[in-house]
Parts: sequence; structure tokens; C-alpha cells
Amino acid sequence: MTPYLFLAPGLLLFAAFRLYPLLEGLRLSLTNARLGRASYQYVGLANYARLADDTRFHVSLGNTAFYTVASTLPVLAVPLLLALALNRGRLRNVLRSLFFFPFTLSVVTVGLAWLWLLDPVVGPFNYYLRTLGVPARSWLADPQTAMWAIIATTVWWVTGYYLVVYLAGLQDIPRDLYEAAALDGAGGWRSFWTITVPLLRPVLLFVVVTHVIGSFQLFGQVFVLTGGGPGDATRTVVQHLYETAFQNFFQFGAASAMAWVLFAIVLVFSVLQFRLLRGHTEF
Amino acid sequence: MTRAHSAVSRRRFLGGVTATAAAAAWPRGAVAQPKTTLTYWNGLTGADGKVMDELIDRFTRDTGIQIEQQRIPWAELYAKLQVAVPAGEGPDLALIHTVEVPHFASDGVLEAIDDATLAGKGFRGDDYLPATWQGGVFQGKRYSLPLDVPQHILYLNVKVMKEAALAGPDGKPRVPGSRDELVTMAKKMARGDTFGFAIGTSNPGRYTWGFHNLLWQNGANIYAADLKHAALAEPAAVEVAEFWGGLGNALKIAPPANANCRDAFIAGKLGMWIAGSWNFTGLREAKVDFSVAPLPRLFKQPVVWAMPHQYSFPKPKTADRTRREAAWTHVRWMTDHVAEWTLKAGQVSASRKAHGDPRVTGDPVLKTLLAQGANWQVGQPTPKWVAAENLTRPVIESVYTGQKPAKAAMEDLARQINALPE
Repeated sequence: MTPYLFLAPGLLLFAAFRLYPLLEGLRLSLTNARLGRASYQYVGLANYARLADDTRFHVSLGNTAFYTVASTLPVLAVPLLLALALNRGRLRNVLRSLFFFPFTLSVVTVGLAWLWLLDPVVGPFNYYLRTLGVPARSWLADPQTAMWAIIATTVWWVTGYYLVVYLAGLQDIPRDLYEAAALDGAGGWRSFWTITVPLLRPVLLFVVVTHVIGSFQLFGQVFVLTGGGPGDATRTVVQHLYETAFQNFFQFGAASAMAWVLFAIVLVFSVLQFRLLRGHTEF
Repeated sequence: MTRAHSAVSRRRFLGGVTATAAAAAWPRGAVAQPKTTLTYWNGLTGADGKVMDELIDRFTRDTGIQIEQQRIPWAELYAKLQVAVPAGEGPDLALIHTVEVPHFASDGVLEAIDDATLAGKGFRGDDYLPATWQGGVFQGKRYSLPLDVPQHILYLNVKVMKEAALAGPDGKPRVPGSRDELVTMAKKMARGDTFGFAIGTSNPGRYTWGFHNLLWQNGANIYAADLKHAALAEPAAVEVAEFWGGLGNALKIAPPANANCRDAFIAGKLGMWIAGSWNFTGLREAKVDFSVAPLPRLFKQPVVWAMPHQYSFPKPKTADRTRREAAWTHVRWMTDHVAEWTLKAGQVSASRKAHGDPRVTGDPVLKTLLAQGANWQVGQPTPKWVAAENLTRPVIESVYTGQKPAKAAMEDLARQINALPE
């Protein structure tokens, strides 16, 4: 009984603030509820059926998938490379703090800063490109580059956080394994692939799972930098959901259906990743 | 009892008795009433917000009524009103745009204002410009009272236009008289990172208010006259969309879809600019050499987009007569002092009262704005207007950036608007 009593406060909070909204969202998704209107009717699976015809929802799903795939490698690799470089050395703590700094900023601050940096007319990025003789581009207004600009912004923002996570993982790997490998003639490259990567597997799993979940929920950067544009080029599922719920006639029923589809997708991907990357690490 | 606790001297005791007696003898009317505090939500996040703060300070000094303002960007303000008012957490007073009146009224967010109340407070339709007064009415009932008339105007950058030899011998920039002339002039100015023409303060590609203005100039609109079906696939709307697409692509005269046109104009990188009247005080502060002209007729008729701000009373959970009276007092006070608002915030008043003020008529920009009055047009009175506008934004941007051809985009938009729920 005692363990359950200890768990009770946490479980109560979880039930009140996680489980209940989740199930309430499921109930709303079966209605034609509109924000601010007291009455609504149950419409069965009509909101889900409408999603099959909602071309903008399809576009937003495609964009979200593209962002998730395209951003995962840089988000995995850039902090890892920096962590390897900073794993030893006198300036480690100073540099770690410097790299971590962007992550302390809110997404709105980051977005506004990059919005100005990339401004097509008065932004410094294009100014220096012109100075170097490179033609300026409207990075956020060009459908070819807008999503990549959002990915670059995100990598800049989150690198410091994952860097710290990687460094913690690297510090946990016993040094004698590298010494033994070196005695056996293994070089740095071989040590990296046969010692570092396998022993970092739990950390890599954490980074991939949290990043993929975060990617499916991408909103802040898009909201500030492009508003989903140009056109629908960077529209993500959460952006579409937000606009459906809070701008386009306050359609809470339809938006809840989108949220549940997104939840199902994230759940499937999370289970898949756990299965693929699961492994017993022992040292 | 300790000494510290009993330390009430005879002098203090007598002083207290005297003060109590004096208070009891004071005439009833002179006793300070508990101060009423109003809650007031608005979206005046720009320079006009500071002007509103100043006026509210003066209002409080004059009347003793305190005002707690919540200043939230417009889109968020409307979402917040939609949630807070049914929950009984709404403000006493809210400033909203005219096009928000129909959907807030039909969703029961706003309280209707009856004629007797209106007359009792001294508000008469004849004192207002018709387009603004009518904007507060939905399905025969009044829900709001107009404050001012944000509208479009043509800004001309003297430096940029002089450099392109588009100024007369007197140094005044030339004003385009038609669409073709505007394009020809804009092409003379567009080179490198300098642009000849733009519509909208920022993100010109998705500036729906500008797109609406051009639609109205061409006799088109979002909805057909029945207010039930979208009219955007009509040839007149497609023609406007084609011009819109040309601005961002073929004509090569306008800045990219996400540019900040205001910054570009201030930086001397934009020649002609159709934008809101709320920009001109900022341009003066930034010491930009500019002049203004009435909005040119780019299509069939010289319509000017206008979007009056309206005072509205969100429905409270339980009626509070004192606070409602205080809210009316504020609306009355602002209406009586609207000339100050016009001069400092740069917004022409909806009430005619300030229009004859020599400080207003003596200002060339305000004079031009007032002269456009006969051509003002506002959004259609349907609860779906705002949702339709939100759907329009990405579609016109896709046209502006050349992602979609105009006709296909307008047909797609019409389909989306027609699919909005009842």
C-alpha cells in the first residue's frame, strides 16, 4: 500500500493534467464543438473523415515528416561532433556554457532574432552575401529554402542542450576501454565506432526519441518565422491544428481530431524507435 | 499587558477622537467613493498603445475611474475573448475591428446595445460617418460603437522617387493615376535591393487587407451578395490575383513575400507603398522624407479599404451596473477627446466631431485620409468573414511567390471557404 500512497500525488496530477485532457480531446474530436459555443452535437467520425479530404492537412503532414527526417541527422550529428571536441580540454566548461546559451532563449526570441538575421531587405545575412558578391535570397519566403532555414534555426537553438546530454554520456564511458583499444592498435575512428557509438546507444535513443517527438509537435519556430508560409510550404500539423482551433472559426472538434491523429503517429514512431534502438548496455 | 501594548498616549487618543468626529461631520457627498476599476482589452500594440495610455491616464485624472488594460496582439485577443467571455472572465470593455462584430455577436460574446441606452448616453448616428456607424450593427442589432478609421493610403518616398527622376520640378513625387502608370513608375525605381512598390506593412505576400482592397476596387469580394457562397473564382477576383502574382514575380517591382516593407521604406529601399494610416506617425518620428496621396484607382473604382475600431461590451456573467456605467463613461470621454487620439495616434476619428478641428484639417496626411471618406469600404457582415480571411492568407502568398497560378489558387480558396462549417 505504501508505494501506492507515495505514487498517488504524481498519479493524481498525471490523471488531472494529462489523462483527462487527452480523453476530453478524444471526446471533442467526435463532436462539432466550437470554442465559445455551449452546445454541440456528436458527429461520430465525421471530423476524421474530413481529414481525408483536407488537402492542407495532407500538406502539413508531409511538411512535418520532411522536417522530422531532414532535421534528425544534423540534430544528432552537430552536438555529437561538438561534444567529442569538447570532451576534454581546459575550455570545456566555458565552451559548454557558450553553446548552451541559445537553448536558454525562448522560441519567440530565437525566432525574432533569426527573422531579422534572414530579412531579405535589411537583414545582415543577405547584406554580407551581397558584400561577398553572392546574390541575396529571401530564405524564408522561398519555398525551396524556407524549411531548411527553419531546420538551421532549430539546430542552432537545440545544439547546446543535446551537447550537454552527449557530454554526460561520454563522461560515463570508462577511459580504460579506450586505453585497451589503443593497446590493441585501434585508431580514433575505430574506437569511435566500436566503443563510443555502442556505449552511447541509450543517449542516442534519448536524443532521437525526444527530437522526433518534438519534431512532430513543431510549432513555435514556424509560427514566428514563416507563419506556415510561403503559401503552405512550411505548414506543420500543429500549425494547422492551431489555426483550425483558434483562427478558422474556432473548430475545436476538427482540431481535436487532428490532435488525435498526430498523437497516434507519434505513438507509433516512439514504439518503433524504442524497438529498433533497444539494447542492453553494460560496462 | 506590557508597556509596549498600552502605549496610547492621551494626545493620540484625543487626536483620534477629533478625527472620528470630523469624519462623521463631513458632508456625505464629499466622502470619497470607492474607485471603480474597469478591465479593458485591446490590441493597440504599436505606437498607438502609448497614446492610448496617455489618454487613459487623463481619463482617470478627470473621472477617478481606473482602467486595467490588457494589450494583446489582435489575433490572440480575439481567441482570448472567445474563451474568456463565456467563462465569465471577459473584460468590461473591448476594442475590436469591425469585421469581428458579426461572429462575436452570433456567438453571444457581445452584449447588444439598445437604442434607448445609446440615446441616453448621447450617441447619435448622425454624428458618425455612415460606414463606421453601420459597422457596429449585425442582423439589425447594434453591438459596438466606432472609435476611429484605420485605412489605406499611398506613401511616397521622396528620396527614392527623386533618385528615379519621378519627382516634379517642385520636388514633389509624382502620383500614379492608374495601374499601368504605377507599374511603369515602380519599374524605374526597382533595382538591386530597392523596390518600386509594395502593399502591406510586413509580409506583403499574405497581406489580406491589401488583397481585399484590390478586390473591392475591381468590384469583387470574398462572398457573393447572398453571403453564403465564395465569389473568389469569379473573373474579377482572378484578375486581381493575377496582378498580385505579378507583383511578386513577373513585374519584379515588389519586395519578397516576407519582407518588412515598413523597414524597407524607412531605409530608403521602397518607393511607393500602400499601407495603413497607422504608419505615418512612426515615419515622422523616423524622420523619413515622405509624402502621401489618396489611394490610386488601380482597377475599376477608387475604393479604399477601411477597418474601423469599435468599442464593444463583452457579456458579463453577472451584470455589474457600476462597471458598465464606468465603461460608458470611458467611451463617452474618448469620443469627446477623439481629436487628441486622431492627432497623436494618426487615426481619423469615426465621429465627425474632430473633423473640423483646425489641428486635424491642418495636417496634410490627416486631411488626405479624411478626403478618402467617400471611398471607404469595410468587410462583409458575415460571421465567417474572419475565418475566410485566415484561409485567404496562405493562398494569396502562394500566388505571390509563384507557387500556384492565380486561377487555380482562387478556385481552391473558394472551395475552402465554402467548406467552412455553419
